[in-house]
Amino acid sequence: MLIPVAFGVTLIVFFMIHLIPGDPARTILGIHATPQRIAILHREWGLNRPLISQYLLFLDRILHGNLGPSLYYGVPATTIILQRLPATLWLIVYATVIAVLISVPLAMIAASRKDGVRDHVVRVVPLFGLGMPPFWLGILLIYAFSITLKLFPVSGYGSGFFGHLHAMFLPALTVAIALSPVVIRSLRASMLNVLGAEYITTARSKGVPGHRLFLRHVLRNAVIPAVTVLGINIGFLIGGTVIIENVFAIPGIGQLMLNSIFERDFPVVQGVTLVFAVMVVLLNLGADIAYATLDPRVRFER
Amino acid sequence: MIHRSTAVKALIGVAALLVVAACGSSGSSSSSSSSSGGSSGAPVKGGNLTFAAVQDAQSMNATTVFDNNSIWIFEQIYQTLYTVTNDGKGVKPLLATSYTMSSDKKTYTFTLRKGVKFSNGQPMTSADVKFSIDQNRKATQGWAYLDSAISSVDAPSPDTVVIHLKFPWAPLLADLSIFANGIVPNNYGGETENQFYQHPIGTGPFKWDYWHKGSALKLVRNPLYWEKGKPYLDSVTWTDVPNDNTRLLQLKGGQAQVDQTPAWSTVASLKSTPNVNMFLFPSTQTNYLAFNENVKPFQDVHVRRAISLAINRNALVKAVLFGNGKPANSLFPPQVPYYQKATPGLQFNMTQAKQEMAKSSVPHGFTTTILIPSGNSDYLTISTIMQSELKPLGIKVKIQQLDPNTANTNFQNQKYDMSLTLWTMDIPDPDELATFAVDPKSGAKSFFTSYNNPAVVKATHQAETTTVPAQRQTLYNTVQTGAANDAFMAFLYYSPYPYATTSNVHGFFVTPLGNMHMEDVWLSKP
Repeated sequence: MLIPVAFGVTLIVFFMIHLIPGDPARTILGIHATPQRIAILHREWGLNRPLISQYLLFLDRILHGNLGPSLYYGVPATTIILQRLPATLWLIVYATVIAVLISVPLAMIAASRKDGVRDHVVRVVPLFGLGMPPFWLGILLIYAFSITLKLFPVSGYGSGFFGHLHAMFLPALTVAIALSPVVIRSLRASMLNVLGAEYITTARSKGVPGHRLFLRHVLRNAVIPAVTVLGINIGFLIGGTVIIENVFAIPGIGQLMLNSIFERDFPVVQGVTLVFAVMVVLLNLGADIAYATLDPRVRFER
Repeated sequence: MIHRSTAVKALIGVAALLVVAACGSSGSSSSSSSSSGGSSGAPVKGGNLTFAAVQDAQSMNATTVFDNNSIWIFEQIYQTLYTVTNDGKGVKPLLATSYTMSSDKKTYTFTLRKGVKFSNGQPMTSADVKFSIDQNRKATQGWAYLDSAISSVDAPSPDTVVIHLKFPWAPLLADLSIFANGIVPNNYGGETENQFYQHPIGTGPFKWDYWHKGSALKLVRNPLYWEKGKPYLDSVTWTDVPNDNTRLLQLKGGQAQVDQTPAWSTVASLKSTPNVNMFLFPSTQTNYLAFNENVKPFQDVHVRRAISLAINRNALVKAVLFGNGKPANSLFPPQVPYYQKATPGLQFNMTQAKQEMAKSSVPHGFTTTILIPSGNSDYLTISTIMQSELKPLGIKVKIQQLDPNTANTNFQNQKYDMSLTLWTMDIPDPDELATFAVDPKSGAKSFFTSYNNPAVVKATHQAETTTVPAQRQTLYNTVQTGAANDAFMAFLYYSPYPYATTSNVHGFFVTPLGNMHMEDVWLSKP
């Protein structure tokens, strides 16, 4: 699955980025561009060759683990992408963890008293998170927690494990606030579904205490559809980190992608797209595995 | 029934995470509540300055790079024989201490400063100077054109350098002051050019530490720097913070000490913010409206003059710069030598604009397009204002926004009707701008307008080879007056360089050409 998807994505992106007007040589040269200088750079970068032969060169390089040189920075694209990847991975994982930590208890609270006050509050309030533009929310959080309360650094990535944990909290929170409403709702719905099932009534009548009832029976069954929802949303997230990275000055690959498109840094654009494609496929794979782990029926069906 | 205590326990878990994260690492949110105007007495040695920049640098190769963010960083590493004075109008000795000129004006002999070392301990000699200038002359895609008058460079003795010219060349010292002629070790110290520029070495106040691309670039003090007592700072870190709001918040939160180009709309409030200094350094930046004379009716001088007369420059300064600038009256900015204050650059005058239109080839108006890069809110504001200002003349303007790379390409290929553009000087001499802007044979085709006034072109060429200042002034007056009367571009406004710093930063100064001497900067104790 991984290989045809990755291949297809790179094919589309390669041709798209090369066919839009614009020229990396002009980015570098700016107002000092002359036809001679542009020609020299094109020859250096192989951009004067036919598109097909450029694509074949690209494929050949990939098979040897080389993504080509960054036209803007002049160092291998792989180096730059690998330098910037960890920041985005941190953001995504951290945001997912926070989203789960927020969503599960809130969904439980909502489902425990269906149509009660708590249920309505939990269903409505997170919608604000869905509606607020992330860049605005991000700036607000920075203003409140970094400037006024001075609890967190204003932006950036930090250094060291605890440095990252500290610096990335606000950006991850911003993302989680946007992610949670959907997860809460789907988790709540599936919990209500499960609560009405016969095996729950059976377990209660057997005298299973609330604690174990919840963990063993309700959550495990309810979480399965929510995992799928979460997986799909994280997939969208991977492409959507650009804004958060911009606001919080996080040196991630979302920003790298955006800048590289503007600069027409072809090898980096192609490289980052490949990375995105691989991440999304791996994520779906991960969701499938989680599914199988949680639901033995799926396991035994195979 | 779901046990409520489980839910509560989970919520406590989230709260715990919050607390852990908050107490996590050492607070980098150091308080910036230093008493304002504290001690501006003797400079204090030590400290790290964080400079929040609009974008990352591109490369440290001084001979090929045009990107300002790279230039302003590597200017702290490499130095030149002469450097720009603080008013931007002249040069003063730096790595050279004096020079003599032959009577035919084609040979310059420079005496090098004694006791200068590279940051790796090796002494700087004329061999390094010859190598560096020759490297720039050879750079096929960079700044070589500024050295095009040089025929050869000799190093007859370790502290003498001789430059032979093909013809008398007035801008030589100014050309030598450009960073592309910065002095690096002979033969790149044995490395290849590419290897060298990954961790370059120079004679400047700071030396290489690291560059995490897209994140931060750090330089540390060069302990072997020749100017005694400097630099004061232990290190300078440039961080990549593209969002205007974030840079501002970093400044207020104490995470950065310098905010590069805060948004114009925030300048007024920054001026009245305690603990912040809001600087508006005079710059050589000039904004223009270019007319493509290959497209009708812009070959008609009356049309160009009419449009230029219909533009209310004060309105633009107010709307875009929030008042922090002034209308332009000349192709040259005031900070450039030989700027003519009395240049008759056209200013807002609707009556005269209508008169020009009546005299033109299209008295009833016409439809045209203005090309701008997308995502540039300043340019969009200017274009919208112009749209309404040109309506009374019967000129209907369509605004065409293209992605920046495409817009730039089209502009340079002259695929446009009108377009907004700007210039900042790279050398303290008008020659570079003059040749770029008014000479149709210069490769830039008169700033991509195809403007051709033979008298103006002739004056530009003569001013290059005359070394007498009074004569150059007369010639450049001809150029400026001619360009203004022909209105080949509408000169819009001059704007300063906005920088905001925390009040404990002292000695921070930006020349009109954009150079910063970070060796003069020091931080007072909070």
